[in-house]
Amino acid sequence: MNLRFPPWPLWWSFALLSPVQAAAPELTLVIRDHLFFPATLEVPANQKVRLLVENQDATPEEFESYQLNREKVIPGNSKTVIFIGPLPPGEYPFFGEFYPKTAQGKVVVK
Amino acid sequence: MFLDAVIQILQELFEAALLVSVLLALHQQLATAGRPGAAVPAAWFWVAIAAGSVGSMLYALAMPAVSEWFDYVGQEVTNAVMQLLVIASLFTYCLLLRWPRGFSAGYTLAGGVLLTVIIAFGITREGSEIILYVKGIGDSPTSVTPVLLGGGVAAGIGLSAGILLYFGLLQLPPVWGLRTTLGLLAMFAGNMASQAMLLLNQADWLPATPQVWDSSGLLPEFSIAGQLLYGLVGYEANPSALQVLAYLTAALLIATTPLFRSSWQSAARREGGVTP
Repeated sequence: MNLRFPPWPLWWSFALLSPVQAAAPELTLVIRDHLFFPATLEVPANQKVRLLVENQDATPEEFESYQLNREKVIPGNSKTVIFIGPLPPGEYPFFGEFYPKTAQGKVVVK
Repeated sequence: MFLDAVIQILQELFEAALLVSVLLALHQQLATAGRPGAAVPAAWFWVAIAAGSVGSMLYALAMPAVSEWFDYVGQEVTNAVMQLLVIASLFTYCLLLRWPRGFSAGYTLAGGVLLTVIIAFGITREGSEIILYVKGIGDSPTSVTPVLLGGGVAAGIGLSAGILLYFGLLQLPPVWGLRTTLGLLAMFAGNMASQAMLLLNQADWLPATPQVWDSSGLLPEFSIAGQLLYGLVGYEANPSALQVLAYLTAALLIATTPLFRSSWQSAARREGGVTP
């Protein structure tokens, strides 16, 4: 029997893992008075981005975006990380589910 | 504020209400059919709901700490682990209910514990989000009344949906009723598996996989129909390949549990055991 080494599934799994290990550019999003700063985030296309969300309010907020397929609770006075992308160019609105009237923003992928 | 509170709380409650009512319907259907699954006392449902409520409170309290785990992705990882645990327990529970020889103390305990794990971990995430929401909003005095009223209305709607589904399932002819119940449980499991993959991708523990379809123009996820379908069958407007794969795997796993029954029955018969 002709055994190839390493077998192809191993290479395949490396190929799957590699995008995880690549360092992602980081962007900061601040929540203050139930508003997002900046309200528009510019993100490079086809690249994973590490979004650092800092909630400066005492109340918790929930970052939610149907277009980005993201949802995460951010306790009051705390920070968190949300990975987004890689995404094709376009506009991806997000909002704070606990204060949807004011907490609105969008990710613009260029 | 009032309407926001209704929507926010209902979203979290809806899934939990559906899960509990479908499990209750399954229990009742098995009892009617005289299957051993009914040997798990219904009182376990109260244990499970109580455990889920306590779990929600503890998880809400621990949220600031959990959020910081694993370089700020502790929430995603914990939620994903809870969902996978629920799927595994649901699978074992379905197998157990089909076990030909029930009615023993060990069987009852195993069934009860599995039911508790399924319901408790199934509602902990949503429950903790409701608690955090209500607690946060409650800090501003003017929103206390609308949020509490909204919560009451949401609880009413969620509970009604659960009751409607429960009696609806029991109205069906026995065989089709059981099949529909199992089908719903399979889709709940699929949804949870898909969500677990999404969460692990959000945490960057799993790679991004290509989007399989985008039906957000046709049926947006945030529309009422989209939300209803999300709760019932795990509808998602733009799922990734990994999510679809996980959904199908988990749904198939649960949906095929009845197939194990015949092989067990024949094994039991060979051993001279009693079959229901």
